[in-house]
Amino acid sequence: MLLKRYIPIGIVAFFGALTLSAWFIDNETIETFANDDATQFFDIIAAFAVFLGALNLLKLQFIKVLKQQSGWQYSAVAIASFFFAFIIGFFIRGAYFVGEEVYFSQGAAEEAILALGSSEQIVPVDWGAHVQTDGSLFQWMFKYIFSPLSATMFALLAFFVASASFRAFRARNLEASLLLVAGIIIMLGRVPVGSLISSWVIMYIIAFSVGFAVNAYTRNRNMALGWVLGSFGLITGLGFTMGWPVDQPAIFYLPALQEWIYLVPNLAGSRAILIGIGLGIVATSLRYIFGLEKSYLGE
Amino acid sequence: MKYLEDIILKLGAVDRRIIFLLIGLAVLIPLLTPISLPVRETPTTVKFYEGIDNIPKNSKVLVSFDYGPSTRPEIHPMNVGVLRHMLRNGHKIYISCLWPDGIYMALDALEEITDEVNPDNQSTFDIKEYEDYVLLGYRPGAEAVIKGLASDLRKVYTVDAKGRFIDDIEMMDEIKNLNDFAYIYSGSAGYPGTFEWVKYGGDPTGVPMSSGTTSVQVNEVIPYVQTGQLIGLLAGMPGAAEYEKLIDSPGIAIQGMAAQSFAHIVIVIFIVFGNLAFFIKQRRDRKY
Repeated sequence: MLLKRYIPIGIVAFFGALTLSAWFIDNETIETFANDDATQFFDIIAAFAVFLGALNLLKLQFIKVLKQQSGWQYSAVAIASFFFAFIIGFFIRGAYFVGEEVYFSQGAAEEAILALGSSEQIVPVDWGAHVQTDGSLFQWMFKYIFSPLSATMFALLAFFVASASFRAFRARNLEASLLLVAGIIIMLGRVPVGSLISSWVIMYIIAFSVGFAVNAYTRNRNMALGWVLGSFGLITGLGFTMGWPVDQPAIFYLPALQEWIYLVPNLAGSRAILIGIGLGIVATSLRYIFGLEKSYLGE
Repeated sequence: MKYLEDIILKLGAVDRRIIFLLIGLAVLIPLLTPISLPVRETPTTVKFYEGIDNIPKNSKVLVSFDYGPSTRPEIHPMNVGVLRHMLRNGHKIYISCLWPDGIYMALDALEEITDEVNPDNQSTFDIKEYEDYVLLGYRPGAEAVIKGLASDLRKVYTVDAKGRFIDDIEMMDEIKNLNDFAYIYSGSAGYPGTFEWVKYGGDPTGVPMSSGTTSVQVNEVIPYVQTGQLIGLLAGMPGAAEYEKLIDSPGIAIQGMAAQSFAHIVIVIFIVFGNLAFFIKQRRDRKY
């Protein structure tokens, strides 16, 4: 109990309070601890966590392959990829330089020297620096395997977003309608094509949509038609008076509208969330310091 | 009218493979046959541009590459643009990476700039490592790295990305911590990135900073722009395109705007048809 519970809680409480106090107490030793030593501790622990993470990944994937669980083939690929990256990162340096030219293996570099009759020396790239030097296998893997795969995964999002928004974006109630309208305004207003859509077109669309709503609500087609014709006439008259400027009235211009959505309602919401998160962090940190939060002990 | 409604209903129940195909075409065609669309600068981008333009000439600036290949189309054009802008103003650039693949992005950006030639076939930027820039490289630890940089850079980086000792690099002579930089910029695609730089880098040291982010991050980051904790913001690929226009260096972001525009139009059209079909179906269901 003492080793598993009270000592860890004591360590967390002490270091938590010490790190926190660095912001309030003008003491060089405490400040050095919080700003330098604690961050170094963090780096060291994080480095060990990478080992743990890698071992855990291997363990889970191996179990999946050995038990032939569903999708075990993907686990086999994951294991093979892990060892491939591990081996080319730690054991195969590659990138042997002969002057400006770079060769993958020492043999290839020696052959090139013989073929060219060059007096240049073979200079292998330093360990560590090899992972980012052209000509190394690791760099090759990053450029031609990791980058395209990573980009492909992300690019697929466009297709899923399109399909999902088509199916899920429905004006079922007021909140959903607001979200839908704001989404469309942002989608069109953020891209250059949005600036080509005149605010007058938007005004006509709004007038027509209101007419549609009037018809649906009152079931009076004449009233709806009257509204549409009246508002179209008003908009057209106003347009001729103002000379049809694309971005006026600004309230109906999509880029201006999307900017307003970003900078007013969205900003207010985001700020509220940020403040909430901040307060949550303060509360959780205090719970750790006072020993009330014990989830890290597995409780 | 019923015929039209039936067509809309059919469109509202279209197979998702058709949507995939149309989105693919909407992206592919403008990329293969470039279409020029007018790019309009937004206030946050203009603020960003002015923030970088107002850094005193020949200053030392820190540029952080906090993204990977997946978000490269959005962030990379911004970072290349920022490097161009900074080099034009004679700044010395110090590059750090909070993401392991950020270093490859930085190398690509530097290569792109080094290979750039003017109409007379001469290098636009005659830059040399350790004279114009230092690639510090990647360090694990996320916010701990930033906190370390704010306190003592040499405790975080003893060597640069090529393994050269920091103390042997002349450009590093006057750099002790973040306070020695005139400006911080982070091209960020998530965690660790803009938030962490503001909280542990910009705010505690008072060094002015700005950022370029993916479109989905803008909602969260925008409060920092209004408070002045970030001097402007490049918001996704449209932000990158606006910045390319401002620095008069058109690139991949401006080219990508047509593809993004058409993809958005296709999505909006499908959403509109989906909703019309939804209303028609609802009305018919009420009738029977």
